[in-house]
Amino acid sequence: MDAFVTALGLVFDPFVIWVIFASAAFGMFVGAMPGLTATMATALLVPVTFFMSPVPALGAIVTATAMAIFAGDIPAAMLRMPGTPASAAYTDESYAMSKKGQLDLNLGVNLVFSVLGGLFGVVILIVAAPALAEFAINFSSFEYFWLAALGLSCAIFIATEDPLKGIVSLLLGLAIGSIGIDPAAGFPRFTFGSVELMQGINLIAAMIGMFAVSEILRNAVAMDALGEKITQQVGNIFIGIWPVFTRYWRNFIRGSVLGTLIGALPGAGADIAAWISYAVSKRFSKGPEKFGTGHIEGIVDSTSANNSALGGAWIPALVFGIPGDSITAIVIGVLYMKGMNPGPTVFLQNPQFIYAVFIIFVLANIFMLPLGWLAIKSAKQILRVPKNILLPIILMFCMVGSFAMTNSIYAVIVMGAMGVLGWAMEENGIPIAPAILGLVLGEMFEQNFMTSMIKSDGSLLGFFERPIAATLGVLTLAMWAWMIFKGVRSSFMPRVRESVP
Amino acid sequence: MRANDAVNGAILIIFAAIMIALTASFPAFPGQKYGPSLFPRLLGAGLIICGALLVWRGLQARRAGERWLTPDPWTADPGKRLSFALVLVAILFYILASETIGFILCAFVILAGLFLRFGVRWIVALPVALATTVLIQYFFANLMRVPLPRGWLDPIL
Repeated sequence: MDAFVTALGLVFDPFVIWVIFASAAFGMFVGAMPGLTATMATALLVPVTFFMSPVPALGAIVTATAMAIFAGDIPAAMLRMPGTPASAAYTDESYAMSKKGQLDLNLGVNLVFSVLGGLFGVVILIVAAPALAEFAINFSSFEYFWLAALGLSCAIFIATEDPLKGIVSLLLGLAIGSIGIDPAAGFPRFTFGSVELMQGINLIAAMIGMFAVSEILRNAVAMDALGEKITQQVGNIFIGIWPVFTRYWRNFIRGSVLGTLIGALPGAGADIAAWISYAVSKRFSKGPEKFGTGHIEGIVDSTSANNSALGGAWIPALVFGIPGDSITAIVIGVLYMKGMNPGPTVFLQNPQFIYAVFIIFVLANIFMLPLGWLAIKSAKQILRVPKNILLPIILMFCMVGSFAMTNSIYAVIVMGAMGVLGWAMEENGIPIAPAILGLVLGEMFEQNFMTSMIKSDGSLLGFFERPIAATLGVLTLAMWAWMIFKGVRSSFMPRVRESVP
Repeated sequence: MRANDAVNGAILIIFAAIMIALTASFPAFPGQKYGPSLFPRLLGAGLIICGALLVWRGLQARRAGERWLTPDPWTADPGKRLSFALVLVAILFYILASETIGFILCAFVILAGLFLRFGVRWIVALPVALATTVLIQYFFANLMRVPLPRGWLDPIL
């Protein structure tokens, strides 16, 4: 309880509240701009929050991402362009509604259910994280090894359409992560005598490169649309919300539960949560034929899901140091920078920071209601900001932000190289998220692997001797076996069918 | 710009082979069976397997008529090729020149150059470039105490 009071004091500080509002405005703007993502907002925020104490730094990220995921719905409904990938699942549906003259209702539902979904995810986070932490306090290197392995496997098999390219991405991330001092023996690997490479690849600079610079490269060749003209008028968005709620509250619960769960799975974030819950909504709807024609039902599910996924993603991030999505991958980097190494012990040593994160999460979702309303009302102005002015400024910001991470040009080089790599990967259908997860988890994965190998004296059976480790291990292996089985079947089946005339 | 998977796979295999070759010089520790080379070697082996699968898949796609390199529509437009290249040049310019000429001049040149390339009128581009540069310099160098390089402007700042 003492920690909770301390946390309240930490949050209700004029500076922290100011940071929350400023990052809310920033998040709304980035989210509402098509082509700029919530992850990018986080990556760009980190250099700014670098010199803040942990609470405002984490508060800025929590608030900005919550706002960005909602704000992505605005251009989806108005322009048929999702502001962030998390709104892509129901962009057509939203646009169809606004063409039917239901823009107000659509935006109202998106706002209210984003708030409710967000709060739902936070409640689960508040209940589940400390309980899991208590459970996880007895974990040894074997359990952590399997947890990391399970997390990395989830990132490949749940979050990507093409598992082979997912594995490639993950291995690349782990390989890049192995540059620098090795975590078990302290030997500098792949440093080619460079002192700067010995500190490893700077995580934040790498993420700014992969998430922001690659996006700038993509946008630079799609510069035809300069600023968007909005013609629609927005009226009172809160009319008609209550009937929607009474009719579709089950959809809200289902979407939020699914969203939180998918958010908590490593590698899958708000965008996948929205796609899956939209599909589930259609599958179990009484009127699936209405989907796609401007029907509110699927939107209730998926707009709740993508905001609840944000809270869900923090559960494994705080408890195990395993990011639930690409945003929390960056958060983990921030936690390490602030000396709050994620893991069950942070709940014992620094509970006030954990509570502060919870409080800010709740506050951010409550503030979202008025701020989201403001963002909807000023959408015309936000979307008129021309991309050709915005992109060079963002690029400049990326470079200075990376520079600030190491106070040397080294981080800018990392940023540039990772930006080109990220761009090339996406162009060739290799997803970025598993690589980021590999980069973040690489050290923990290897360290626990090596420690376990040494403890069990090289016997792989040792990895299955403790009950929880064994369960996690079997789960991981089963997932791989199933995937390999499916992969083999799908690559041999067509030929079998071809041979039969 | 999509390359055939066989090309991607071949690149991965080469990369992994180099990585494994580099681990040969890593020391083994007496009394310990697993040194710093174990993990990179496992990763390299994994990449080679994936690379081989990609090559196999790419060759199948090749037989179905896919080209080695499928360019995006934008690559046919010389203006867009220039825009793309200019973003990379901007990053390279910052890396190479910022230490010498200083952040302020470097940022102004990059911003103004990109603005003009992206079709912003110069009457807007130059003031916005100047204002952005000054704001970033003030925020990072003065407020956050990031040692942005001063370069040629050192005597004035």
